[in-house]
Amino acid sequence: MARTLTKSSKSLLVEEYITRLEQGSALLDDSPQNLLEVVGILKSYGVVLDAYSINLNYIADTQFLKLFPFFKYFNGEVNPNTIAKFMLHDRINYEYAEYCMKGMFWHGGGGLDTYLDTPEFAAETERLIKAFYRYNPLLLALHKVFPDFLPEQMRQMAYYSALGQFWRVMSDIFINLSDSYDQGEIKSIPDVVQFVLDGLVADAALPIIYQIKLRGQEYNIIPKSADITFLMDTGVPYVEAIFFRGTPFAGTVSYNAQAYEIPYDLGMFNYGALYADPLPIGGAGIPPTLLMQDMRHFLPDYLHQFYETNSVRGLGDIRVQICESFQKSMFCVTTAAVKGLAPHPLDTQDLEEKLANRKYLTGWLNRILESQLIKVNSQKQ
Amino acid sequence: MLSALVLIPCLSAAIIGLLLPEKGNSPRKIAIVTAISVLVVNLILAFQFNFQQENFQFEEDIAWIEWIGLNYHLGIDGLSFPLVLLNSFLTLIAIFSTKPEIQRPKLYYAMLLLLSGGAAGAFLAQDLLLFFLFYELEIVPLYFLIAIWGGPKRGYAAMKFLLYTALSGILVLASFLGLVWLTEASNFDYLPLRSHHLSLATQLLLLAPLLIGIFIKIPIFPFHTWLPDAHVQASTPISVLLAGVLLKLGTYALLRFAVGLFFDGWLYLAPWLAILAAVSALYGASCAIAQKDMKKVVAYSSVSHMGYILLAASATTRLSMSAAVFQMVSHGLISAFLFLLVGMVYKKTGSRDVDVLRGLLNPEKGLPVTGGMMILGVMASSGLPGMVGFISEFLVFRGSFPIFPIPTLLCLVATGLTAVYFLLVVNKVFFGRLTEGLAQIPPVKWQEHAPAFVLLLLIIAFGLKPDWVTHWSEVQAIALLTGS
Repeated sequence: MARTLTKSSKSLLVEEYITRLEQGSALLDDSPQNLLEVVGILKSYGVVLDAYSINLNYIADTQFLKLFPFFKYFNGEVNPNTIAKFMLHDRINYEYAEYCMKGMFWHGGGGLDTYLDTPEFAAETERLIKAFYRYNPLLLALHKVFPDFLPEQMRQMAYYSALGQFWRVMSDIFINLSDSYDQGEIKSIPDVVQFVLDGLVADAALPIIYQIKLRGQEYNIIPKSADITFLMDTGVPYVEAIFFRGTPFAGTVSYNAQAYEIPYDLGMFNYGALYADPLPIGGAGIPPTLLMQDMRHFLPDYLHQFYETNSVRGLGDIRVQICESFQKSMFCVTTAAVKGLAPHPLDTQDLEEKLANRKYLTGWLNRILESQLIKVNSQKQ
Repeated sequence: MLSALVLIPCLSAAIIGLLLPEKGNSPRKIAIVTAISVLVVNLILAFQFNFQQENFQFEEDIAWIEWIGLNYHLGIDGLSFPLVLLNSFLTLIAIFSTKPEIQRPKLYYAMLLLLSGGAAGAFLAQDLLLFFLFYELEIVPLYFLIAIWGGPKRGYAAMKFLLYTALSGILVLASFLGLVWLTEASNFDYLPLRSHHLSLATQLLLLAPLLIGIFIKIPIFPFHTWLPDAHVQASTPISVLLAGVLLKLGTYALLRFAVGLFFDGWLYLAPWLAILAAVSALYGASCAIAQKDMKKVVAYSSVSHMGYILLAASATTRLSMSAAVFQMVSHGLISAFLFLLVGMVYKKTGSRDVDVLRGLLNPEKGLPVTGGMMILGVMASSGLPGMVGFISEFLVFRGSFPIFPIPTLLCLVATGLTAVYFLLVVNKVFFGRLTEGLAQIPPVKWQEHAPAFVLLLLIIAFGLKPDWVTHWSEVQAIALLTGS
């Protein structure tokens, strides 16, 4: 549960954290344990993101407009062996990737969201639909009767693709980070933040393109000319949708509108990764359980050993421990994003630039300080 | 052979208490071997038992103190066999659920075995005075088990238990002495005394103290107040025996002696007893709703569910008498199961307060298996189909309704309230977000859950196959009613 701060204590904390960021520190306290947890968990996250991105791109490229994509999690490998593994749950939980995709799709924001409502997108989608169902008069007739249904499916596919491409890059950043840590180049939490920031900046302008090939024809659902970029049009909406807003987990809050437990305004949502309570992980209706379940298979040995000795339950509550580490790592990624999007370098000595930065940081910190950050930083290590 | 069921635990108790060193694991090991041996003897007897025979079987009759008419007369029939089996089984469960590092293990296990032997003797005794001796014998070890290994107010609870049950014993003895004196019998042998020709007024005169004594033991409202205190202060294994075996001594005495010896008087009082049963069931359920201590909830549920046995016994139909025996077994298993689970919660969290505990079903950091079993226990106690509680309550209500419809309907309300108070507990304690202070509770090992698992298996097995229990007591139920 996020702690509620009084106005005065919150403004003091905002000041404190602005100073930290200006001095080159991170939102997360720097400690050897935090460093071990963050780097270790980001390594396994990188491996999982790689798998997620492959599947998201596979679905976007080959499963579009299929009304019943039964084998969408098989990445094209449908045989008795993969089906048996799937049934025995010896697999990656791709459902979590879709959960994130839907979170982004629902909250929207950024250039991608805007582009999906343009006439260009509608025209290209219409062309694809007609080509795809060329020999299916029933669906073409249904498309005439319900003209919004199939384009909406393609909007969703655009998010599959965009998130797949975004995670493709992030996966590399996290695995490279782990390699650098293993080589002794990463020694502190600020080093982690700087590494992620450098990665984000390096790929900031990377174009997000969604092109489909069908019977020798190309369909540019998100063309390069749309100028959708990695950082501003995908990364920032992703952070907003997944880190900050999110969606409430089933069973943890009342969906009864009269209970007013869920705000009417989506902008007021604070159910994202930074706010999430790790304790219910493992329970029914808690989607991040799937991510934690996936990550536990790819933990580096040192982190596995840490979890074994860190809790009275040993590995019995490893998914909650992974979630706690994951949340810490997300504070580092958030720090990198906040630093990267700042109007001026945070160590500027120019007074006007400093004031502009402070205004910018205050806006972020007012939200971030309502998250689990204070609780995480107050834990004994 | 029957003597083995009494002597093996009593001799082992003597060996553990007098010969073994205080330190080491040997008292526990011997107690386990003893309990297993007794259970094996029970099972051997079970295979040789003739379900169709009305009379007592495997009888042992030795003159003991002839000038007062006391004989060492043991026998077993369909009424006592399920309870003897339950006693030996729950003794083993209680020993296994005792923490190995318990303080003063010699005295503890000696008392536990003495308690078990005393209860077995009471179930087997076919001599009224011998029954009384065993009935009194089990009070002593239980007093020490509560007074030494109990909770903070153990002294008060143990003394209250002692005073109430000692009074119960005096009343039972007075009734027995009166019966022998008025019938001018030469001894206290049970079967000859059944064929007395006492007037209704005399029977009522003798039945009244016997019933009060038995109602204290069962316990039935308003004689119940010792039970919640005893349960709350007793350790988990002792609560298991208290609920599973000791209370059954009262209900057994109700059927064997109150119905068996004073049948006309019983029939005369039956309508009033049925009303008392309904009041006790509703009172116990209402009190359970108001409790904050999980153990008290289970304790008051016992008061409520014991009312069903009184109702069934009051109805005195073939079905209701079988139902009373089934309800004894059912309650013995379910209450022992619930006490084990509440004990597990207390052991791990240090609390039984429903206002403190929350979210224990948390799959990673809570007690999900304990919580899952608790839900099953609640289902069983509430009488959901597929479990032993459903069969016992269905039989009780089906057997009693034609005779006492209003008290039966009131007891049906009480069984509805069972779901209310247990679901309140489960909802508060196990659902919701895990309390922050409980985020580091140690896990429960599988071996710690083993006794509860075994009980759960029996609860489900007897729920699916009730004739495994009912065929023990069918013939004997008829015999009680026909006076043969």
